[in-house]
Amino acid sequence: MGIQKDSVRFNVSGRIFETTATTIANAGRNSLFGAMFDDNWDLQPNATGTTEHFIDRNSDCFAVLLDLLRIGELHVPPNIPEKLLYREALFYGLLDHVRSAKWGPFDGNKLHLSQSITGRAPGDGTAIRAGPDGGCCVAHGSMVHVYDWMLEEHPPITLDYQRVNDVIWADSKSIVISACERLGRGEGGMGLFSASTGELRYKFHVTHENQVKSYTAGALSFSSDYKLFSSCKGRSNEYGIGVWDQVTGKQIDFFYEPPGWSLGDADRLQWLHGTNCLLVATLFPRKDNCYVSLLDFRDKSMVWSWSDIGAPITDERRVRDAIAMEDTNSICVVNEYEDLGFMDLRFAAGSVRWSSRSRLMKGKMPDEPCYPKLALHEGQLFSSMNDSISVFCGPDWVLTSRLRNSYGGSICDFSIGGDRLFSLHSEENVFDIWETQPPPPIM
Amino acid sequence: MNSGQKKRNFQIEAFKHKVVVDPKYADKTWKILEHAIHEIYNHNASGLSFEELYRNAYNMVLHKFGEKLYSGLVSTMTFHLQEMSKCIEAAHGGSFLEELNVKWSDHNKALQMIRDILMYMDRTFIPSTNRTPVHELGLNLWRDNVIHSTKIKTRLLNTLLELILRERTGEVINRGLMRNIIKMLMDLGPSVYHDDFEKPFLEESADFYSAESQEFIECSDCGDYLKKAERRLNEEIERVSHYLDAKSEAQITNVVEKEMIANHMLRLVHMENSGLVKMLLDDKFEDLGRMYNLFRRVPNGLSTIRDVMTSHIRDTGKQLVTDPEKSKNPVEFVDCLLAKRDKYDKIIISAFNNDKTFQNALNSSFEYFINLNPRSPEYISLFVDDKLRKGLKGVKEEDIELILDKVMMLFRYLQEKDVFEKYYKQHLAKRLLSGKTVPDDAERSLIVKLKTECGYQFTSKLEGMFTDMKTSQDTMQGFNATYGSELGNGPTLVVQVLTTGSWPTQPSVTCNLPAEMSALCEKFRSYYLGTHTGRRLSWQTNMGTADLRATFGNGQKYELNVSTHQMCVLMLFNNADSLSYKEIEQATEIPSSDLKRCLQSLACVKGKNVLRKEPMSKDIGEDDAFSVNDKFTSKLRKVKIGTVVAQKESEPEKQETRQRVEEDRKPQIEAAIVRIMKSRRVLDHNNIIAEVTKQLQSRFLANPGEIKKRIESLIERDFLERDNADRRLYRYLA
Repeated sequence: MGIQKDSVRFNVSGRIFETTATTIANAGRNSLFGAMFDDNWDLQPNATGTTEHFIDRNSDCFAVLLDLLRIGELHVPPNIPEKLLYREALFYGLLDHVRSAKWGPFDGNKLHLSQSITGRAPGDGTAIRAGPDGGCCVAHGSMVHVYDWMLEEHPPITLDYQRVNDVIWADSKSIVISACERLGRGEGGMGLFSASTGELRYKFHVTHENQVKSYTAGALSFSSDYKLFSSCKGRSNEYGIGVWDQVTGKQIDFFYEPPGWSLGDADRLQWLHGTNCLLVATLFPRKDNCYVSLLDFRDKSMVWSWSDIGAPITDERRVRDAIAMEDTNSICVVNEYEDLGFMDLRFAAGSVRWSSRSRLMKGKMPDEPCYPKLALHEGQLFSSMNDSISVFCGPDWVLTSRLRNSYGGSICDFSIGGDRLFSLHSEENVFDIWETQPPPPIM
Repeated sequence: MNSGQKKRNFQIEAFKHKVVVDPKYADKTWKILEHAIHEIYNHNASGLSFEELYRNAYNMVLHKFGEKLYSGLVSTMTFHLQEMSKCIEAAHGGSFLEELNVKWSDHNKALQMIRDILMYMDRTFIPSTNRTPVHELGLNLWRDNVIHSTKIKTRLLNTLLELILRERTGEVINRGLMRNIIKMLMDLGPSVYHDDFEKPFLEESADFYSAESQEFIECSDCGDYLKKAERRLNEEIERVSHYLDAKSEAQITNVVEKEMIANHMLRLVHMENSGLVKMLLDDKFEDLGRMYNLFRRVPNGLSTIRDVMTSHIRDTGKQLVTDPEKSKNPVEFVDCLLAKRDKYDKIIISAFNNDKTFQNALNSSFEYFINLNPRSPEYISLFVDDKLRKGLKGVKEEDIELILDKVMMLFRYLQEKDVFEKYYKQHLAKRLLSGKTVPDDAERSLIVKLKTECGYQFTSKLEGMFTDMKTSQDTMQGFNATYGSELGNGPTLVVQVLTTGSWPTQPSVTCNLPAEMSALCEKFRSYYLGTHTGRRLSWQTNMGTADLRATFGNGQKYELNVSTHQMCVLMLFNNADSLSYKEIEQATEIPSSDLKRCLQSLACVKGKNVLRKEPMSKDIGEDDAFSVNDKFTSKLRKVKIGTVVAQKESEPEKQETRQRVEEDRKPQIEAAIVRIMKSRRVLDHNNIIAEVTKQLQSRFLANPGEIKKRIESLIERDFLERDNADRRLYRYLA
């Protein structure tokens, strides 16, 4: 005998690797190695009768992937391009292993900058949106660039000079884009596109009195039961919030804008899972005043609303973004100096409690300021200001971390998803990817 | 490349530097893979290099030949499956299924290898082009080319159904093979299993069981039929567990239930000489249990059993309570009721799974027929009386409790609980006064049970009776302590002081006591009134007893235990040898009916006739004469002379009790009406009747006519008034 029964020899383009069946079994059934085992996870005899398996692939990458199977961690030497490693992992069927070893569960206080991607288009980006599996898409002008989690770019989506207003991931394979109506063309509205090929799958129409209308679609949001919401501006006063079924693409409801209020111009929509309501916020400078309301579509009512109409308006009191935090029954708003303010959702017609955190910004504003944006992720509140993102935690929203990358200028948008944070800078369409390190394997 | 297209003047072409690979590259690579697939299907895979094939497939996808690879796979696999299909078709008779099974497992093995080789295509090319993954593709092709081929499809189904039929008729079939084939159909998707097998299987089964049940029911009795049905049901469940999809269990059992049980339910239950009634009569627990378990599975099954059982209990119960023979002996009457109740309790517990709805049906049936006999409350009380007087001597405490619990259960069925209370009070009074209630604990325990059942009010007077007994003892001790010395050898007196109201009121019949006694009674009266001021004491001589020492002519001495009235009569003979009826009546002033009864027991009962009557006859006449029977002898020194009393009430007494009960009900009904009206203020007639009935039903069933009378009486007394607008409405006047 002499040979350990469990051992396996691989000849990868001439380099010999010797490992054990238990290590290889970590690859799982859906991999090249899975085919080497029988149903009982015993090694099957080689076709030629030898104990050596020849593989015609890059041996350096094989070494990295073999280590991944051995210890569950990914260590890529600098001489191996990441893309090459991904190709090899795809060949062996180990791509999922690589992905889960690359970064860990999201924690706003443990983020590190993993990569910066410089885009191809100059100028202001409109939006960046993180996908559910760690990919992202970037909208600017009439283009949407789509990247998968390996940050490989897919064919971009071009909307023939219609301005993109918002983008949202429907699932890891498709995205919904809302666009401006083009005068005289009857186009615009919204469409669902394939993330991998950029093909248009279907459009979402607005019908008003049984007629299909052209409209401008603004902010987007999904509910947990696959309903899609969008702020809409039609030609003949069809202003309001449209509701579609994501699966069929059919319009199922429309909430018309009540007089003296603004819904169709909304900057932000947010679905509240706990109360089954939709937050709609229309903000300065799109309108002169700010309108924040909660809509209940079951009985078509506005269950909560707040506006700064009639209040003395100063820059410190002007709301630039709003986000609902269901855990604390409140809405967080931010002004252009990154002061946070809070409103209680349980009482209608309340006022904003500003927590005057810092006025230091005043007078130190950069030439091209980007106004603050807010995001919430599992009890952590994120706010972007100029070239950095602040992380607030705890019941009193204490500043706990600040993310900053010196390159790229002010941050015009950011998004959290797939355990990653993406931030889009206003200059040169640079975007950063922030990740949390994977936790060490349990000893 | 673009020859003939050069009509345009010029064309800007993208800068291409196409790497020209071997133009035959794709074909060559595909040939290798195709060859490998052939070899795999021909069981020749050991010579193949997995790594090389995997790499070739990878390269084809990488170089955009995924389409060619995929379509090649489809056509090659289709080719092999059609070959297999031919082999299977050619198989003879019994080897058909085996051949199919062998080929299926071959195909599965091949499919696994092919999928391994084409894994890269499965991962990249197939999702991005929305095609069917290799494994699923292999199953679909197998389905279309083999299972759905015209020559196999019906043959397969018929073979499977025939095997199942053979198994049903008792043959042994190859279950392993069946399991593999059915498993294959399941692997091909739920719709294949359902359409190609399950649906026809269920239809066939329905036909089979419909015919079989018809045959069974013609030639078996109910018990045997149920046994057969149960066995069939278990067989089908077993079949599912052996080789069918677990989801089919509910459906096939449904078929058996419907065909074998639901369709014949009524006929089974009413089968003469073996149906449900017969089983109940004969206590066939096993058969009843089987019927319950089978009928439970079908809609309305249990209610059918329940209805038949209920009407049977009601019928037999009605017979029982209206049988004049049984009514003669109250104890036997109640014993019969208890026995009946025990019988059905046992049936419900052991055969009907202690089903709540059955218990309820049993209770309502008992309630129905017990109240058919208006004397049931009296009989139950008499039963208790009997048990507590003598029946419980030497019985263990737990058994006493058991009997009392059973009595309580019967009590619960009574609608006229107040009638029971009346009788119970009378009987209890007799027991207490005669000192015959031996197990005091049992008495008290029953009172506690009544109290929990009907509330404090129901038993407060009964408890008062016990208290009176206790107080009387103390009073007598006090009396004897005070006067004991001066009484000396004279007669002793025991007095029980009874609170008026707590005890069943008897018309106070006075009689002339013998001089010695009345002197003694006076002493007690002065003693008692001396210690308790403001009370009135009246003598209930009709309820007392006395012990006399008598010496007869022949010198024989006896101790006679007699009632107070009898004592009065006998004491007269201390001073006279012979007395006429009239003389006795004059001397004692005992009402004539009582006196006659008393004399009857003294003179006419054989063996206890301490008096002699002239003329000798059974009945007492006004002109009769009495003298001491000198020839009286008895084996015992102590002779108890009973009073001739009907244990059961006589007809006029019954009427009287009834009347008293009705009288007592009036204030209760009025109180209920006032309580209800006080809270409702305004109510219409029907609702008042309903609410009053509901409030009082724990005590008795109020008669609507009586309620109406009470309302009218209350209106007269200005408690209520009729509404002016709507005459049906009553208004409460505060």
